Amino acid sequence: MKTTTFKKQYILTGLFLLVFPFAADKVFNWNYGVLLANFCILYIIAVSGLDILFGYSGQISMGHAAFFCIGAYGSVLLHQHTGLPVILTICTGAVLATLVGALLAYPASKLVFHFLSLATIAFGQVVYQLVAQSPGNITGNFTGKFTDTISLFGWKLNSYTKYYFFSIVCLGIFLFIKINLVNSRVGRAFIAIRENSHAANGMGINVRKYKVIAFATSAFYTAFAGGLYAHLVRFISPDTFTQKQSVMFLTMLLFGGSASVGGTITGVFTVQFLNEILRSAERYQLLIYGILLLTVILAFPGGLYGLVRQILKKKGGKSDAAG
Amino acid sequence: MLFQIIVSGLVIGSIYGLIALGYSLIYKSSGLMSFVQGDMLTFGAFLGYTFYGVMGIPFILSFAMVILLMFALGFAIEKGVIHRLVAKNVLPIYTVLATIAISYIIQNGSMVLFGSDIKYFPPVTSIKGIRVLSLNVQTEAALCIAASVVFMILFNFFMNRTPLGTAMRAATMDPMAARACGIDVGLTTGLSWAIASGIAGFAGMLIGPVYGVYTTLGSVIGTKGFSSAVVGGYGNMLGAIVGGVLLGLTETFLSAYVSSAHKDIIAYFILLLFLFVKPTGIFNERAIAD
Repeated sequence: MKTTTFKKQYILTGLFLLVFPFAADKVFNWNYGVLLANFCILYIIAVSGLDILFGYSGQISMGHAAFFCIGAYGSVLLHQHTGLPVILTICTGAVLATLVGALLAYPASKLVFHFLSLATIAFGQVVYQLVAQSPGNITGNFTGKFTDTISLFGWKLNSYTKYYFFSIVCLGIFLFIKINLVNSRVGRAFIAIRENSHAANGMGINVRKYKVIAFATSAFYTAFAGGLYAHLVRFISPDTFTQKQSVMFLTMLLFGGSASVGGTITGVFTVQFLNEILRSAERYQLLIYGILLLTVILAFPGGLYGLVRQILKKKGGKSDAAG
Repeated sequence: MLFQIIVSGLVIGSIYGLIALGYSLIYKSSGLMSFVQGDMLTFGAFLGYTFYGVMGIPFILSFAMVILLMFALGFAIEKGVIHRLVAKNVLPIYTVLATIAISYIIQNGSMVLFGSDIKYFPPVTSIKGIRVLSLNVQTEAALCIAASVVFMILFNFFMNRTPLGTAMRAATMDPMAARACGIDVGLTTGLSWAIASGIAGFAGMLIGPVYGVYTTLGSVIGTKGFSSAVVGGYGNMLGAIVGGVLLGLTETFLSAYVSSAHKDIIAYFILLLFLFVKPTGIFNERAIAD
């Protein structure tokens, strides 16, 4: 019984995802909505990466915009200078970010919570400054860089709808890998480290090694999303990769609730929705954002998804008791 | 030239030091990290500008008013937000995020309240400059350095020689034992946030006349204050000041002789270097190690 309802849910969701861009674009003439969906997809990939690091391994990063940035700039610059297909340069950019992440994590794995957040902030700032004032102006500094969209075997993804289907396939792959990863030996090691790193160490888990793995994987996810972002918008400039972006990733994760796929998705949609509403009140955007953030933190620190699940559980529990 | 660099290095260094002092104080008293310090500085500077520049209240009086108001604001933030979160026993990241939210509110709020253009303080004294060793120093700069030194001496006296300061130190060392001795730990924690915020207002009042006041003034200074605190040893009061002055001097010297374009990167680089290589800082404060 339960599995069939689940299957029905999956099929319905799948159908909705399939029909959405056509409906939005052709029926409602809402091309912007398809763009927004694209953004949501790539943010889900980025935030999933952060979730592996924070939600499962308990390691904070307040500089994830740096990985987003390395993925975007890495891909754009590589494509520009070598002319390799974009899909390859996105992967290369992500691999590059993975290496940087591992390199950062090796010394950083010794730091406790607050100081890890400091170190990642500093890392984010260093990357931002390097991109904004690059030696020899290779990144185009504040002028930014224009770039191409993705082309798959000569087929150009030149509309938001085409791009949507490409990114949703990527999203599927990334979520599949994430779910398998966190349910594997490695994922259990992550959770053990999150719960108590000393105990994990005592059980024979190489804490430093797994922290480095978590950082590197997380960097790969976020950097891949960065690459997707760059070729979707086809323009990048340092303004996108500030400290504010890192805080937004973290907000998305915490708003939704960490250590679950559903939480990540909820968080991304909620924050994107808020950003869209607040767009008209640009002057007060940060103020409203701050107040909302504070309210959410004070009112339900478990995240929206956690809250919904809690309510459902209560309801379910009641009906069970009644039945 | 060299003298000028040293003076401006000392000016910005003493400001970094003051901000770092606030961070260390908060960390020592509640084991938390606050991101509001920088924006508190901005807010204090704006308040000072309003009192002194717009309303024409004498400088010393506006100074005192700013410190008092900031003191109250810091206390209110601790009691209204931080204390509640800590009492709920949430993950530490939520308190950090809460302080980030507050800093957004203050930053954007002061833009809405005071406007987004740079405000300049009217001259603080009629004296144009002070002559030190036959060299001219801007009065505001001299005031900034002198006030910081005096403040540090007074603060040190307060923490080590007065009953309230002793109570605060005791509450930091072991809250449970302090409570058993009859110390109101809730009060001392609130006080330390209040003092940190008061210091930020103080620093804003000092830096405002030198740099002018604008909404993002504090956010950069705030992060550099972090670096200073780590360099000196996070949680160490003396270390905060020494780290601040060192960072200020390094930064000014490097931007004068090497390149000013990468001035900000230096502070972050130093921060990373210290965190990775010598996390206990110059004064070997054992706060960071696992």
